[in-house]
Amino acid sequence: MQQPTGHIHPLSQIISEVNSIFAEIGYVFAEGPERELVEYNFDKLNVPQDHPSRDMQDTFYLQGDHERLLRTHTSPVQVRYMLDHKPPIRMICPGKVFRNEATDATHEAQFFQLEGLCIDKDISLGHMKGVLEYFFSNFFGGTVQVRFRPSFFPFVEPGVEVDMMIEKNEQNKLSGKWIEVMGAGMVHPNVLENSGVDSSVYQGFAFGMGVDRLAVLKYGIDDIRLLYNGDLRLVNQF
Amino acid sequence: MLISYQWLQTFFDTPLPPPEVVAEALTFHSSEIEDIAKVGTDTIFDVKVLPDNAAWLLSHRGIAKEVSVILDMPLTSDPLRLSNEVLPVSDQIHVTLTSPVCDYYTATLIEGVTVGPSPDWLREQLEGLGQKSINNIVDITNYVMLATGQPLHAFAAHTLAHGKGYAVGVRQAHSGEQFVSLTGEEYQLTPEDAVIVGGKDEVLALAGVKGGQYSGITDQTTSIVLEAAHFERTAVRKTAQRHKLPTDASKRYENGISRVLIPPSVALAVSLISKVAGGAVIGTKTVGEGLEVRQSVTVTLSQINSLLGLSLTISNVTTLLDRFGYSYEVQDDEEVTVTPPAERDDLTIPADLIEEIGRVYGLDKITSVPPELLVANQLNKRHYYAEVIRQTLVARGFSEVYTSSFRNQDKVRIQNALASDKGYLRSSLAENLREARAKNIPHRDLLGIPTILLFEIGTVFAVDTEEFKVCLAVQTNTTYKAKTDDVLWRTAIADLESVLQTSLAITEAGEGVVEFSLDAILVTLPTPSAYGKHVASPVVSYQPFSLYPAVSRDIALWVGEGVTAGAVMSALQSSVSADQLVRLTHLDTFTKDGRTSLAFRLVFQSDTKTFTGVEIDALMEVVYATVAKYGWEVR
Repeated sequence: MQQPTGHIHPLSQIISEVNSIFAEIGYVFAEGPERELVEYNFDKLNVPQDHPSRDMQDTFYLQGDHERLLRTHTSPVQVRYMLDHKPPIRMICPGKVFRNEATDATHEAQFFQLEGLCIDKDISLGHMKGVLEYFFSNFFGGTVQVRFRPSFFPFVEPGVEVDMMIEKNEQNKLSGKWIEVMGAGMVHPNVLENSGVDSSVYQGFAFGMGVDRLAVLKYGIDDIRLLYNGDLRLVNQF
Repeated sequence: MLISYQWLQTFFDTPLPPPEVVAEALTFHSSEIEDIAKVGTDTIFDVKVLPDNAAWLLSHRGIAKEVSVILDMPLTSDPLRLSNEVLPVSDQIHVTLTSPVCDYYTATLIEGVTVGPSPDWLREQLEGLGQKSINNIVDITNYVMLATGQPLHAFAAHTLAHGKGYAVGVRQAHSGEQFVSLTGEEYQLTPEDAVIVGGKDEVLALAGVKGGQYSGITDQTTSIVLEAAHFERTAVRKTAQRHKLPTDASKRYENGISRVLIPPSVALAVSLISKVAGGAVIGTKTVGEGLEVRQSVTVTLSQINSLLGLSLTISNVTTLLDRFGYSYEVQDDEEVTVTPPAERDDLTIPADLIEEIGRVYGLDKITSVPPELLVANQLNKRHYYAEVIRQTLVARGFSEVYTSSFRNQDKVRIQNALASDKGYLRSSLAENLREARAKNIPHRDLLGIPTILLFEIGTVFAVDTEEFKVCLAVQTNTTYKAKTDDVLWRTAIADLESVLQTSLAITEAGEGVVEFSLDAILVTLPTPSAYGKHVASPVVSYQPFSLYPAVSRDIALWVGEGVTAGAVMSALQSSVSADQLVRLTHLDTFTKDGRTSLAFRLVFQSDTKTFTGVEIDALMEVVYATVAKYGWEVR
């Protein structure tokens, strides 16, 4: 028996494709640590200590370390990137994040998130809608529509939930209906200021979504835990 | 939060549109409706109220106000805008506030009430919203909280007796002081907790969280003291967290409800008590300042349009502000200064107002601006080289896995782990890959591969630092054999070193597992100038795999000249269903004395059960019959 060619994990394939799509519109692939400063994960993102908004993300803390935690989202990379770079900024950050939640077929305590950030003068929710339609259309194929609903994330104002609809086609069960895909919004002026960006001159949007959610939507994976347990019965299908 | 459609209707003179229309209006302009349920003749909405709105939206009045603004229907009966009857001040009640947690406290003495079961309308309204009916007085306090968002509490007045009158106070608890809640649980308090005390300085309630057993209303109670107070949000949150006692009241306080809710809530409670339980108000005592001063916020039309991506006119904006009923001033048709109403604590910067305007106008009206094509001005070196490593290893037959960042024992300990075997962060990928290798070994036949060749690229954690590592794990047989396995990873490492033109910083090598630091070699690698060609991720429809065991059988056949392995495989595959013959692998071909032998491995597995030996034998009979039909000969 010959050893056939191996397989790249579907999450890696998705991250690579996402990067290719965003690189064509000038987005840089940024990174930050998985063990993050509490200050970057929460305070600088306008999530004060002892505020109910901290309850929105169940957090893993580290023993004997009061300054760091396991990042609950890739949003602290926004802060890091803005502190290090002057606008205009266009960046994405795919990376692993952690939530202290019971796991089931649709929840993992560790998963990959995709962050996006665009900061310039006169950037609006209209630009965000355009970028997301461009991204989803390239990623899923066909024309993908995007719509916003009001929502709240402490680091954006206004904040929105983003739904998308893949153009109806017979092969895709998920096509032709609205599906909730991510949280997003216009970066809160406090976050810009905390990150060294003059909020009276610059503004922009940020979004965050689960990479495994993209895998579920694109491939029909029915249990996201299988993406993280090293089982080739999943990986070798890709 | 559960909201009753019929209750919402009471805030309006005109009929509301059907529940589905109200739900959609709220979802697209205010807060997501997570569920709609019919309860009797009513419809109950489950509204997802998020922290930015929770100070004013955790009530029927709050939701009714949103419905009014969104659907442009006047809120004709707004409890927060009624002029309330002024209650007589009573000298019989003494209120002492010594805790910084409470800055406003109203105590109202009502005598001659008849405590008993609630009337049907009240009981049904509460039960429809998932609340338990207790007695008429307690039910009214809960009803008012659901109406206005202001928690109230009723004490049996005799527990506050002090001299010829009544005394109530708010102070910090003493260390170790005991509190027994209404439902009988005992709590040891700390000096950080604020408590309500009675005439003898004994603890009656945990401020802003829960009432106590001792001062509770019973069937014998005839006089009550009704508390309406404003407690500091963070202190209430910490007390509720410390004692693991989140309540409907603490949730409202921790979100920063306004003290202006208090007078109308007391007025509503007093009038309901008089109707439902009788009695008379003797008087009230208020300590503290009840005014809430909101700073005005100025926003320009160009800021509004620039952030939302809309082209609103000033009259569009003022029309929306009129629907909110905000007081505002317009300057030069370009700027508007809004003074938020007292109950709204969340309108402090221009972006807050822009959100209000955008969501009510309609986020669906935002048109998209397609992005310009631009070249990313910086490449991610780690991603670039990780991709090179993936491509190189996959060409060698390796498959990529992701494994858990948690281990049962390692260097960095998690304070609040999900489970004891997930208590640490991994400092190496090697252990995880050994486990993944062992898990995959039994599936080799099913996967149609002779050898398990795995790799992972991921973050590992030392005490102070973290880095990306790459780990390979190989194994051919059920146990590791140096002779067959070492060559597999050594060749792969040699391939990588040749492709990357650098020597790898190997940190662990042994028993078929090798690990090296990606970050350590990155500094030595040249800066890439462009990412590799964009490869669209494959069009794959994932098939869930069976959890029942797979069974392998080998077969070797003499076949005639010109018969290919492919031809035999299609013949066999058409004889046994793919639900049963899940994998067919060509093992080898050899020719002897002018005859060709082809060997195959057949893997049988069911989605619904474990195949018995007898069932496998029967399937093999079908295979043998096919072989015979084609004139091939089983060796």
